Amino acid sequence: MEKMANKVARIPNLVDWSTGEIRLMSAKCNSCGTYFFPKEHYQHRPGCSREGVEDVLLPKKGKLASYTVQYYPCPAPFKTEQKITPYGIGLVEFAEEKIQVTGIITNTDLKSLKLGMEMETTILEMYTNEEKQQVVTWAFQAAK
Amino acid sequence: MRDVYIIGTGIHPWMGFSEKVFADFAAVAVDGALKDANIEWQKIQAIMAGIFIYGGNAGHLSGQYLESIFGETGIPVVNVYNACATGSAAIRMAYNSVAAGETETALAFGADVSPKGFLTAKSDNAVQDRDVIRWKMGGLPNPIYWALECRKRMAKYGTTEQDLALVKVLMSEYGSKNPHARFKKTYTMEEVLNSAYVCDPLRLYEICPVSTGAAAVIITADKDLIAKADKPVKINATTMGSAIYGDPTIRISALSCPAVAEAPMLSESYSASRQAYEKAGVGPEDIDVLELPDNSSWHYLVYLETCGFCEEGEADKMLRDGLTKIGGKLPVNPSGGFSSHGEALSAQALWQIIECANQLRGRCGERQVAGAKVAMAQTYGLMGNSGTTIMTI
Repeated sequence: MEKMANKVARIPNLVDWSTGEIRLMSAKCNSCGTYFFPKEHYQHRPGCSREGVEDVLLPKKGKLASYTVQYYPCPAPFKTEQKITPYGIGLVEFAEEKIQVTGIITNTDLKSLKLGMEMETTILEMYTNEEKQQVVTWAFQAAK
Repeated sequence: MRDVYIIGTGIHPWMGFSEKVFADFAAVAVDGALKDANIEWQKIQAIMAGIFIYGGNAGHLSGQYLESIFGETGIPVVNVYNACATGSAAIRMAYNSVAAGETETALAFGADVSPKGFLTAKSDNAVQDRDVIRWKMGGLPNPIYWALECRKRMAKYGTTEQDLALVKVLMSEYGSKNPHARFKKTYTMEEVLNSAYVCDPLRLYEICPVSTGAAAVIITADKDLIAKADKPVKINATTMGSAIYGDPTIRISALSCPAVAEAPMLSESYSASRQAYEKAGVGPEDIDVLELPDNSSWHYLVYLETCGFCEEGEADKMLRDGLTKIGGKLPVNPSGGFSSHGEALSAQALWQIIECANQLRGRCGERQVAGAKVAMAQTYGLMGNSGTTIMTI
C-alpha cells in the first residue's frame, strides 16, 4: 500500500498492512481454539496442551459491540500531535474468531456511533518520529 | 483451623495527593489498630503488608519499613501485590497464619500514595510490562473499560443515566457522614447529571478518583487478647479469587475479551465470593451490610449481581426500590464507598474490612446499619484478582 509507506507502528506485532489491507495481528491456539490479541499476550483454555499456536490476521471488518467517547486527553505515555480529544473508543467484535478488540475510533462522526454497526480496521497517525516517519496505532472507523 | 478475630483496626483518613511520607501516615493506622486492640507492638507475630506501589520497585518494602518504625522483632514479614485487591491478599495470609497456628496474632497492613490524575503505566517496556500497550497505542485509561461495560449493560438491561447518578447521590450522602472519607460533599441528582462526561455514559461524579491512605487490621486467636478486646469481630472467611476462562468482561489493561461468554462477568469476584460463602457457611441472603468496590456507578450495579445478591439485570431495580440504602434489605457501602474515598491501591481492601468491622461493632454513628451481625467486604483488582471477607459479631 503506497499510502502506508513511511509509516511505522509505535509498538510492533500489533497491526499489519503487508497484505494490502490494514489488519490486526492476532494469534490462534489450534489446540484449544482460543484467539488472543495482542498475539504475545497468550491465553489458553485450562488443560490445553498449548501446542500449535499460529499467527492470524483478524478480518478487516467487525461489528461495534460497545463504545465510549473519552472527553479528557489520554495521559502519557500516550502521545499524539493530533487534537483527537474527545475521541471514541470502540470494542469491535470479530464474530468468527469470538473475540472483541478495543481501538480508538477515527474518521467517524462520534454522534453516528451505534451498537452493531459495521466497523473496519485502520490506522491513526499519532506523531512524526526523529526519522521523519509517521508513527501510527491501530484504530477503527465506520465501514465504507 | 481455629477461630480468628479482628481485635483492632486503624485508619489514616483518605486524602488527595500528598507529600506526606510513609512513616507519617502508615504509623497513624498501625497506632490506631494497636490502641484499639489494647495490645503492645511486640504481640504482633507476623506482618502481611501490601506493597507500597508509588515509586515503583524494591526501594521500599512496607512491612520492613513498619518494623523499623515500631521496632524490629525478627518476625516473618511478607510484602504482597495484587493490585487493588492487595489488602485482601494481606489479610488472607495473616488469617491463614493465625488460623493454622503458625502465629497467635498478626497484622494485615496497606498504605499507598497515588499520583495526581489517572494511574498510568509504571514502565516504558511493552515487551515485559503488559500494561504498556494500552497506554502507548490504545488510549485506554481505566474508566474507559468501565464505560465500555456500562454501555453494554445499558443496552442489555435498561440501566439509565438516572440509575448511575443515583448511586453517587447515595454514596455522597453516606460519605458525608464518614470521618474517614476524603469527599464529604453531598450531591443531588441534578448536580451529578450536570457533571461532565469523562467517558460517556460515565460522568465525573460517577467514577472514583485515586487517593492516599493507610489501613491496618490486627487479628488474633489468643483467647486473652480476644477477651480483653472491645467487641471482637470473627472472620468467617477471607478468600481470594482469580478470573475464569471465558469471562466476557473487558479487563483493565487488556486489549481484547471473549465475544462469547463461557463464565460469569467479573469472574474473579464470582470466584472469591463463592469460596467465601462456602467457607463461611452463609449465603448472600444472610449478609446484613455489604461493602463493594464502586470504582464507578457501573460497578455498584454489576457487583450486586456478580456476588449473587440478585439475578443478572436486577440490580437497577434493587437500587431504585431503595433496598440498598441504610435501612433497606441490604445496605450497600454505608462508608460512602470508593466514590467517597478514591482508590489507595494497597490499602483499600483493608478499609472496606474496617468499615465492616466498625459496622458490626456499632461504631458508625450516623451511618450505622442497625443491628448488623454479618458483614461482607468485596474488592477487585486489575488483571483478574479479587478478595472477599465475611465477618460476624
